[in-house]
Amino acid sequence: MPRPNHPLVQQFMDAWVTPTGFSGPGVEFRMRMTARCLPIWNGATARAVKGGEADRRLAGDDWKMERALAGYALEGPQMSIKQMSTQLLSVPMDQQARYIDLQRMRARQIWDEVKHGQLNADVLLRGGRIKREDELMASVEANAQDNLAYFGLTSMFAHLHPLARAAQNYFVEAIACLGITATLAAIDDPLIRHQMKSQQAEELMHFMEGKYQLDAYCLTAEEQRPVEEAFDFLLKPWATTMNPAFGARREGGA
Amino acid sequence: MPPATIPIRIDHEACTECRMCYVVCREIDVNAVYVAPEPRHRFEIDPARCLYPGCTACLMYCPAPGSIVEAASGRALVPPPPDVWTPDRRVPRGIA
Repeated sequence: MPRPNHPLVQQFMDAWVTPTGFSGPGVEFRMRMTARCLPIWNGATARAVKGGEADRRLAGDDWKMERALAGYALEGPQMSIKQMSTQLLSVPMDQQARYIDLQRMRARQIWDEVKHGQLNADVLLRGGRIKREDELMASVEANAQDNLAYFGLTSMFAHLHPLARAAQNYFVEAIACLGITATLAAIDDPLIRHQMKSQQAEELMHFMEGKYQLDAYCLTAEEQRPVEEAFDFLLKPWATTMNPAFGARREGGA
Repeated sequence: MPPATIPIRIDHEACTECRMCYVVCREIDVNAVYVAPEPRHRFEIDPARCLYPGCTACLMYCPAPGSIVEAASGRALVPPPPDVWTPDRRVPRGIA
């Protein structure tokens, strides 16, 4: 008998995962992949709640700066522009017509991710850690992240099928959504809450991109195989870590 | 006689202009969601084309709570309430 979901995961499932606009093999494939994702979604959510509650008890602002630096590394210029641009390149010229809406979604996501990087920079600026954003350009901590599931360039090139990105949108963006929900449930600091609420709907939109691609485009074995291979990668225990930006303690891992 | 439809609209206080509704509506050839030039190039829903409640596809991929509502009652349709995503309203896709 499967274990019950964390209450925040169950809310997420009921509101955003289970409702579907289509019927057919794409939806069946998505729900099969969802069952594989759930153990990690549940674990990540529990850890994010725990991390948020631990942060709430801390004195000083260091924990906010740690979150913002990690967030900047995940979503700042390095990751946003390079990662997302690479995903645009995963659609060959002769398939642009078929996947043109997918390309538009990814172009929009470049803008969203850059904005999320700026929100993290705002926390560092308004928190007094830096005076200008360009100070972050010299910081390794603000520009390097070790979470392979965020599909840095090396991970992305191993999964270059036009639809492979759907797995990342679906699996990882759900973790972002759940991490934000957990953070908002645990933390009352206005600086962090503003940053999280500002990007909440966009993270959910990126999850919906994945849901839509799986439901509407992953209809045949040929289309599902490269996406399942991307899920296989993302679900490796060493590929996914809940980042401090979304509430995990650095020592806590996934 | 075509089934009765219920007008729905976008609540621009909640909509984030992500265009998922537009993509979905176009993918299934309903084309009820459009960009209105005035006042600010926002998405709108054409009641003459929209098939709601017969079709509810756009509601399943909208990420902004409360951004699509029933025009008369103001009832929020995002996230979709259970009564609007019954199996008979799903658009068949591929061969199951």
